Amino acid sequence: MSDLSSAAPRSSGPSPSIAHSSDSPLSDLQPSDLQLSNFPGGLALESEGLCKSYGRRKTRFEAVRGVSLKIAPGEVLAFLGPNGAGKTTTIKMIAGLIRPDQGWVRIAGRDPHREPQALRGVGAVLEGNRNLYWRLTPLENLEYFGVLRGMPGKRVRSRALELLEAFGLLDKRKEPVQKLSRGMQQKIAIAVALIHQPQLLLLDEPTLGLDVEAGETVKKLVRQVAASGCAILLTTHQLNVAEELSDRVAIIRAGQIVAEQTTEDLIRQFSQGAAYRIEFEGALDAGRRQEMALLGASVKGQFIHYLPTADTTSASTTLYKLLRILEPLPLLEVRQDRPDLTDVFLQLVQTND
Amino acid sequence: MIDLMLGELKRTWIQTLRYPSEVIGGVVILSAVFYGIFLGTQYMAGPSATFGTRLDTVVVGYVIWSLVLYIVNDIATNLQAEARTGTLEQVFLSPFGAPRVFFARAIASLTLRLCLILIVIAIITTITGSQLSFPPLLLLPLSTLLFGAYGLAFFIGSVALVLKNVQQLLSLFQFFLFFLLAAPTEDWTGLAKTISNVMPILPSTGLLRDLMARDVGLDWHGWAIALANGLFYFALGTLLFRWAEGKAKQQGSLGSY
Repeated sequence: MSDLSSAAPRSSGPSPSIAHSSDSPLSDLQPSDLQLSNFPGGLALESEGLCKSYGRRKTRFEAVRGVSLKIAPGEVLAFLGPNGAGKTTTIKMIAGLIRPDQGWVRIAGRDPHREPQALRGVGAVLEGNRNLYWRLTPLENLEYFGVLRGMPGKRVRSRALELLEAFGLLDKRKEPVQKLSRGMQQKIAIAVALIHQPQLLLLDEPTLGLDVEAGETVKKLVRQVAASGCAILLTTHQLNVAEELSDRVAIIRAGQIVAEQTTEDLIRQFSQGAAYRIEFEGALDAGRRQEMALLGASVKGQFIHYLPTADTTSASTTLYKLLRILEPLPLLEVRQDRPDLTDVFLQLVQTND
Repeated sequence: MIDLMLGELKRTWIQTLRYPSEVIGGVVILSAVFYGIFLGTQYMAGPSATFGTRLDTVVVGYVIWSLVLYIVNDIATNLQAEARTGTLEQVFLSPFGAPRVFFARAIASLTLRLCLILIVIAIITTITGSQLSFPPLLLLPLSTLLFGAYGLAFFIGSVALVLKNVQQLLSLFQFFLFFLLAAPTEDWTGLAKTISNVMPILPSTGLLRDLMARDVGLDWHGWAIALANGLFYFALGTLLFRWAEGKAKQQGSLGSY
């Protein structure tokens, strides 16, 4: 595999961070290729009030209810939700594959439902699909899809070879895809989605069914693609993957967005009121235990547990009081049991049940 | 568009020729089915029966039938196969738009099919001793035939996009086409002739039989009717396909099968 480690660090917020690795073809995505000067607001994706219902009368159900999403270039938005929440329908509405009943989509400022040229700005790896022709080799797939996406024939081959090199698949370029491993097929599917240098990449469960190593490789690729300035809309049930890769998270439940903010802020928000655990060495006498109990903490063996109230300031004050009571016993660890994205997701989904 | 056409040609030929046994099997089956029909007819007519020009018209009829059947099925079977293998939605992500992509695909697979047909014709004429002629004017009624056949292909493709399962319809269509193509419409007159002029494909098949089997020159008036007929059904088919694409997107069933 060629050097994929040159990816720039993830941007920490919703504002775009476009970095370029000079030794990768993914760095071919120059800011000038992107929409910064081509469409208003510098957004790669903007959708507003998307609604979609299926069925009629008694069997009618609303799959998506007023979903609005915005993604800036270079940003990764994790779009999370339980099965049947409306993720895939939303993604397909964004890609122009399902027509919304209400609402609109703009990709690089263009409507994919009215202007087919808007599709030049989209690459997609759709879940449950092979996304590739299995009888063709990786190179043949890339060349074919490049042309299908409107690239000039002369440019396609060199771009395909660049991508194969960047994805570490140059030596497999002449093997029919059906003979390659699942991980390699997924890498080729992502490469195919990037062949025409889209401004927006839709990834529906990109690490599903991959072994650990292949999953890590795909994650690396996603980081590198985002670092090249491409906006990514990612859906996954693997919440650790979402937490690692995303700048922002949008959680959908029963067709509606129930939370949307930066991944960091969302986790921090749910960390408020989380319990503290202090590990110490030595013995704690009954008097000090009593003092701690009065402050709301409990002692079990070498651990002190303290569940603060919602007020952050008073929680910190109490925490320092506990530490002063412990003095001069040696401290081994002070930590807050912060939730991860999985906890946040479960809380949000279950709270709204 | 030229790049797209070349890309489709390359994809179709590579996908087909990567497993040559399938191609050889197709040629053998097409030739064997015809030879079966030929032997059966000869058995019923008696050993002394000679077919002469009628044999040539039967060969032309069979070849046209197999070509039209292939074309008519092509888009629908392609759609269904790609929905199953999971590449269909990627195809609909093309900025060219689905009708243009599927038309390019149809032309690409036609080139492949015409090559196979030529091999089958060579085998059939060798076995039966049929004497077919291939005047350059043949291209004119052949093109009108292809327009009409692709119109029908887009029509069946539209049904496949919206209703998904079209196997029963395709089977029925096979016999309908066989009946239509075997009918000697070039000999019909009056109301029957008018009806045959407005039916899809029919005006072209009579002209093809005249040129290939009867050594009769091209009837230009007949060809003008065949051209209008072909273009009408082609336009109708592509319009219907656009509607079906919109309907499938509205139903959210584009990639379903």
